[in-house]
Amino acid sequence: MPEYISKNVADTTKVATELAKKLTGGELVALSGNLGAGKTVFVKALAESLGVKDVITSPTFVLMKVYVPDNKKINKFVHVDCYRLEGQEDLSDIGLGDYLNDDKIIVVVEWADKVLNLPAKTIRVNIDYRGGDKRHIVID
Amino acid sequence: MRILAIESSCDETAIALLEAKGQSLNLLKNQVYSQISIHKKYGGVVPEVAARKHLETIIPLLGSILGKDKLKNIDYLAVTAGPGLVTSLLLGLTAAKTLAYANKLPLVAVNHLEGHVYSNWLTSSDLVKNPKKFLPALVLIVSGGHTELVLMKGHGQYQSIGRTLDDAAGEAYDKVAKLLSLGYPGGPIVSKWADKGNTKAYDFPKPMLTSPNFDFSFSGLKTAVLYTLEKKKNINKKDIADICASFQAAVVEVLTTKAMIAAKKYQVKSIMLAGGVAANKALQQSLLQKSKSQNLPFFYPAANYTGDNAAMIAVAAYYNVVAKSGRIIKNKDILTLEPEANWQLSKNKI
Repeated sequence: MPEYISKNVADTTKVATELAKKLTGGELVALSGNLGAGKTVFVKALAESLGVKDVITSPTFVLMKVYVPDNKKINKFVHVDCYRLEGQEDLSDIGLGDYLNDDKIIVVVEWADKVLNLPAKTIRVNIDYRGGDKRHIVID
Repeated sequence: MRILAIESSCDETAIALLEAKGQSLNLLKNQVYSQISIHKKYGGVVPEVAARKHLETIIPLLGSILGKDKLKNIDYLAVTAGPGLVTSLLLGLTAAKTLAYANKLPLVAVNHLEGHVYSNWLTSSDLVKNPKKFLPALVLIVSGGHTELVLMKGHGQYQSIGRTLDDAAGEAYDKVAKLLSLGYPGGPIVSKWADKGNTKAYDFPKPMLTSPNFDFSFSGLKTAVLYTLEKKKNINKKDIADICASFQAAVVEVLTTKAMIAAKKYQVKSIMLAGGVAANKALQQSLLQKSKSQNLPFFYPAANYTGDNAAMIAVAAYYNVVAKSGRIIKNKDILTLEPEANWQLSKNKI
């Protein structure tokens, strides 16, 4: 279980970029961590290294945004935010069924602890705010 | 020309009937069924619940709008095709597609944000009579899902000048309301508290105020509110009011400043506000005051048109037809229309 201490945005970006290199398609990356922990920074870096050219903006309101990356293997990058959910639904309830377990798709879920029944091929990333600009990142 | 419009992009089921002729817009029917009371207990819209409620509401609502004439005098159907919650969009879209195809009527697929822009046309007859006098316009679209500056050169002609790089302004309101346990939706509640507070009590960051572009960022502002709260052991009513007032002042200053710089740079003839946050009095006042000082007409929608409604979708559809600018779909093509959850008003960024 790799653990990292991030001292700034550049460190978090590096951890996300490393993870992006290991993704082959069909994975679900489940992010947890408090408001302001840096989940969005992590997603932005992950998307960029996978070839997403658009600006990643918060999907809180619409729950899910789909991007088309410039990438030979991956044709969709799906960014989900479960912040507003109350833990009573699973990913297919919010319209994600079509995107799960597809070799050409990467799904990233923020506030993943608020949904039920995550698929087996899930990579869990937890970001903890440790005061100042410090963050503790655990990838499972 | 009579247009029947359906809107179901989020948590409001809305249907409107518009009669438009040359330079007059006559709104014959306009009904909105809001689900806010249902979603309140969840602190936000729950897509599955919203979709089910749309399904229950849409047919009775159609029946009450159309009456015994049914679709006899309708020339066009219009429907919001995006952006929004895909599960919600699907309900309105399916109803509109079915009605249009079965009755051999053309269907206009309308962008929800374009609808918000045209809520100003529902409010101001000056705009309807003489749009050229006020275009190009700088439109600030602010809602729970969007914060964007758009240059509107003519009907259907939009150029994106800047937008939020992370959270929408309305979303920041919702999140601050949640941090303070004030309830949902956050916008009206936070601004009500803000009225009683001191705008200078806290020095919250004004993100990207001085950045040399027209983009916004509200994620850090919400985090600053969170850290302020974490430092305090107890918060009383005065603290809540002061935090809300200082937070709102930061949002309003950033939005107003950037809008005014953009208005000057692109030499627009008017400034318009659109979207759910257009109902915010502090933002209206700030933009009104600044545009007055630059002798620019300022438009903002009447309160009943700031929220999601189908009247604005009907007006947008009318101008789509007039300017031949939109997506007007006929016959079998209607069946292939799909919701576009992330449909952007304009992809071009200057």
